[in-house]
Amino acid sequence: MNRQGLTLLLLAGSIFVPQLQAQIKHIEMRVEGMT
Amino acid sequence: MKQHLQRQSGVANVDVSLIDGKVEITPKEDGKIEPAQLLKATYDSGVSVAELDVLARGKVVKGSSGSLELQIEPNQSFVIAPNELSTGLEALADSATVVTVRGQLYKKPGGKKKPDTSAPLKLTILEVQKKE
Repeated sequence: MNRQGLTLLLLAGSIFVPQLQAQIKHIEMRVEGMT
Repeated sequence: MKQHLQRQSGVANVDVSLIDGKVEITPKEDGKIEPAQLLKATYDSGVSVAELDVLARGKVVKGSSGSLELQIEPNQSFVIAPNELSTGLEALADSATVVTVRGQLYKKPGGKKKPDTSAPLKLTILEVQKKE
């Protein structure tokens, strides 16, 4: 694989890796007494 | 309350619906969000929380006490309350599988019991959305 191909592969990896990380994606609260 | 919540670390956006009493919180992509802090911040603003649900992605691990936990980050995990859905996750404990679950971290106690916002939050699994 040439250098350009390797660079593209690394770039693609850096884009997709954060999406595979564990995380809290959304929080929903039901509240009372809110005016 | 909205300003109170938006000041918490890891919070990207807060959407409040006055009609149905719903508060939707979108975490930052790269930030760590603490549901217990959100719960406390809401109470501090004079509003009572009836329920707190999360959509989370993490690994199932066995905790030091042998209980099943959902590990979000190396220093953030929630003990999973045993139910029908949690038994299905037992086989994934300490494996590399990442699961996406919808669960309840807090429910206001019934009766006149005063809610304890400092107690550790337990995750009751409501839905297992994905196993990767």
